[in-house]
Amino acid sequence: MSQMEHSIETIINVFHQYSTRLGHPDTLNQKEFKQLVQKELANFLKNEKKNDAAIKDIMEDLDTNVDKQLSFEEFSILVGQLTEASHEKMHEGHPKGTDHSHGPGLGGKSGLGQGHGHSHSHDHDHGHKH
Amino acid sequence: MLTDLENAMDSLITVYHKYSLVKGNAHALYKDDLKNLLQIEGPCYLKIKDADTWFKELDINSDNAINFQEFLILVIKMGVIAHHDIHKE
Repeated sequence: MSQMEHSIETIINVFHQYSTRLGHPDTLNQKEFKQLVQKELANFLKNEKKNDAAIKDIMEDLDTNVDKQLSFEEFSILVGQLTEASHEKMHEGHPKGTDHSHGPGLGGKSGLGQGHGHSHSHDHDHGHKH
Repeated sequence: MLTDLENAMDSLITVYHKYSLVKGNAHALYKDDLKNLLQIEGPCYLKIKDADTWFKELDINSDNAINFQEFLILVIKMGVIAHHDIHKE
């Protein structure tokens, strides 16, 4: 399995790990979404995870069909938003242009050191000058 | 320490740069770069649409390059397809 397929599979598996807990097995209700944010997005949404109103607001924003549930399709937008935010964080103080380089993403340095072992911080194509 | 979900998202950033840093603009996948990416990272998605069709679909502003935000559209589309396929199995 490629790195991209592996990443996508992880995202789907985590979604299902929470969506199957209560009610409809393929959607997240408010409680399941809150649990997912607090546990699985503990670093990326460090500030929001302690704030019930903020979590509720993220969910309401993603719930485009207003059924108080998040389908995988609705949830996938959050994945895009957070990937964008992490990439922007990597470019804080690091050029995007010809001298392209990356610093740590969302979740900070501790995340980069420990959590990225298999993914990007040790990738030889990454974080180097263009 | 990042969670598996967070690492997966950062890993997608790595995947993009593996192909976008090959040439030209650091945040651009040109037609052949996208083709390589699809062939290596997701060959099953080429059975649905060929590389040229994917490129046209993702190149929202028609500048003949896939920037990072346009790549995220691919990520979302692949995720939705993969999720759909899991439930078909």
